[in-house]
Amino acid sequence: MGEVSANEARAALVAVEQGRRSVVERIAVPAWYWWFVAAGWVALGAVADLGPAWATTVATVAFGALHSSVAPRVVHGRRGSAALSVRADVVGRPVAAAVLGGLVLLAGVTVAAAFALSADGCGHPATWAGVFVAVIVLLGGPMLLSRVRRAAQVAGAR
Amino acid sequence: MTEARFDEIIHPGTRLSIVSLLAAADWVEFAYIRDELGLSDSALSKQLSTLQEAGYVDLDRETRGQRRRMRALLTPEGRAAFRGHVAALRAIVAAADARETF
Repeated sequence: MGEVSANEARAALVAVEQGRRSVVERIAVPAWYWWFVAAGWVALGAVADLGPAWATTVATVAFGALHSSVAPRVVHGRRGSAALSVRADVVGRPVAAAVLGGLVLLAGVTVAAAFALSADGCGHPATWAGVFVAVIVLLGGPMLLSRVRRAAQVAGAR
Repeated sequence: MTEARFDEIIHPGTRLSIVSLLAAADWVEFAYIRDELGLSDSALSKQLSTLQEAGYVDLDRETRGQRRRMRALLTPEGRAAFRGHVAALRAIVAAADARETF
C-alpha cells in the first residue's frame, strides 16, 4: 500500500468513477413503454368520445390491467440495457414511484384538459386531451429518466 | 463504515475497471465488459478467471438456442473487497491532501 502514490490513487478513483458512470448511463425505461402509455392514453380518449360509457369503463380497466402487468418489469429503470442490470442502490431515487406518480398526475391533467376543451366547444375533447397528454408522456418520460441519471451521477461523485 | 483495505488483486488497472463496472450492477454481460473496456475475449477471460479464483466474481453461463451468454457478477466477498479498496484509495488521497495543507 505504501508503494501507491497519491496520484496513482487518484487515477484509480477516476477509473472507479468511470465504471460507475458507464453503468449509470444505462438507467432507462425502454422507449416502447412510453409509446405504449401514449397510445393507450389516446385510445382511451377516443373511446370516451366515440363509444358508450360501458366501453370506456371496459377499456380503462383493460388498459390498467395490461399496464399493471407490463410496468413492474420495466418502470424501475434498471433494465434499460439487455447487457446489464443496474443495482437498485445505484439508481438511487425510486424511479417507479416517480413514473407512476407522474402518470397519476397526468390522469388529472387529462380530465382538466378535456373539461377545458369541452367548455371551449371543441369536438372530441377527450381524444384531444389524450393527444396532449400523450405528447407530454413521450417528451417528459425520457427527460425524467435523464434527471434520474444525473442524480445518480451526482450521488456517485460524492 | 467500510474498513479501508488495499487489495492487490483488484488494484491493477484492467481488473479495477472490471470490478468498478460490476460494483454498480447486479450483473453485466461478458460482451458488454469486453466492448466497454476495449479488451479481447482472451484478455477479459484471463482477468475474470483471476477474480473468480479469488472468490470475487461469479460467472453465470446461459445458452438460449444458438446463442451463448456469459454474465459476470460480484460476489459479496468481491463487493466487500472493492469497498475496502476504494476506501483505501481515498485514504491515500486524503493523507496526501492533508500533508499538502500543512
